[in-house]
Amino acid sequence: MATFELYRRSTIGMCLTETLDEMVQNGTLTPELAIQVLVQFDKSMTEALETQVKSKVSIKGHLHTYRFCDNVWTFILQDALFKSEELQETVGRVKIVACDSKLLSQ
Amino acid sequence: MATSATGMVYIRVIEDVISKVRDEFVNNGPGESVLNELQGIWEMKMIQAGVIIDRTSAPKQPAPGGPITPVHDLNVPYEGTEEYETPTAEILFPPTPLQTPIQTPLPGSTPLPGSTPLPGSTPLPGTADNSTYNIPTGSSDYPTPASDSGGNTEAKSGNGRPSSYMPPPPSPWMNPRPPLSVDVNVAYVEGRDEADRGTSHQPLTQDFFTMSAGKRKREDFPAQYHNGGYNIPQQDGAGDAMSEIFELEVSEFPGRQDSVTTANREIFANLASSSVKIPQLDGPIPDPYDDVLSTPNIYNYQGVVNEDYNIVNTPAPNDIQASTPAVVTQNDAAEDDDDEPLNENDDDELDDVDQGEELNTQHLVLAQFDKVTRTKSRWKCALKDGIMHINNKDILFNKATGEFDF
Repeated sequence: MATFELYRRSTIGMCLTETLDEMVQNGTLTPELAIQVLVQFDKSMTEALETQVKSKVSIKGHLHTYRFCDNVWTFILQDALFKSEELQETVGRVKIVACDSKLLSQ
Repeated sequence: MATSATGMVYIRVIEDVISKVRDEFVNNGPGESVLNELQGIWEMKMIQAGVIIDRTSAPKQPAPGGPITPVHDLNVPYEGTEEYETPTAEILFPPTPLQTPIQTPLPGSTPLPGSTPLPGSTPLPGTADNSTYNIPTGSSDYPTPASDSGGNTEAKSGNGRPSSYMPPPPSPWMNPRPPLSVDVNVAYVEGRDEADRGTSHQPLTQDFFTMSAGKRKREDFPAQYHNGGYNIPQQDGAGDAMSEIFELEVSEFPGRQDSVTTANREIFANLASSSVKIPQLDGPIPDPYDDVLSTPNIYNYQGVVNEDYNIVNTPAPNDIQASTPAVVTQNDAAEDDDDEPLNENDDDELDDVDQGEELNTQHLVLAQFDKVTRTKSRWKCALKDGIMHINNKDILFNKATGEFDF
């Protein structure tokens, strides 16, 4: 199963990465095992988003920058409005990084 | 603030990851205790980040045991820090308290300064400085000024809270430290003894410098590497240097005793002034280290013919041959350098934009895209399975639609 490392940049992924970094530097963990944990996180996070999350969001805003490189879209929005059933958030500047979902199904 | 839905998903992800790597930890890895530690730290960081609500309580911090034990701990850890010096990095990490009960008392003591973060950070570098100060003191035989400086630094480092137990340490430290740095002292003493005994050795260096101007060039090459002071005798081809030196010795002693002796005296003056350099150049000290640490190098340069080890011999010709092509590679590198500034500048502009944007945008959406389309300046995109970090909140979505004006 292919996975993205994309979600490692999320809060939960960064927390895990920091934890693994510290434990590897302590000598508690081997780097190989730490990478295994990260790969498992990629799988688990992707699976959880597919199966456990049902919410829908709409995003509107001014597109400041767009970039498509290596099958990754990067958008930088200004004055973005995020709407969902539960909440509505406005952000002056937000970055969207999106990988190609078709790569996962391969 | 934690959105409960997101937090629930996060907790399930943590549990899922932990459960699925458990076999690896238990069977081939460090064991389940480490796995539990991993989970604990991970969840603690998540709680600190505010994305999940702690199920247990606040992170544990072993404050109570601290003030009672310092006397026992002081003696042990400082030796440890001087021996390794790196454990300071470990000490600074918060997770050490979790390990301390399991492992040796060395880290166990360190959380005491570490429990209070600021003083913990200040005295540790201070100890490192002290250790570095001690080495020159042992070598140069200037005990009093160096010890004073060391005491000063210790006093400075003691300006932090641990001042309660900092004053006693200096005297006990200074006594145990010389034995710790004994290796250095002994090594330099040996160098001096040899310098004192064998006047025959010193014409070696003197003749070596004067006679062989070409040798200096060889010395210059290793000198470029600069870090490996001990490597210099190795890469000179110690065998070559020694053999030529002995020849020079034999030929010159009958003829120029006076000049040699005067030269020796001059060298003695130089020795007295800078005794540190001589042991390195003569190479008596590096020999024991070389035998232990870097035998391959010695065998490469000295005994290529004698040594039949395939592993050892094969790198030697590569190293030798690498010298000439190294020039070519340097040229290539220079060409690359010529090319790089353009690329680097280009990249830097982009990177600056990115960095600036990333600095400004702590809001981030990580997702997968199903479709991205554009009609004139109107962009539409369909995203799925995303994690958004917006306004300090983590929000997950299954699907998202975006409509942007460029």
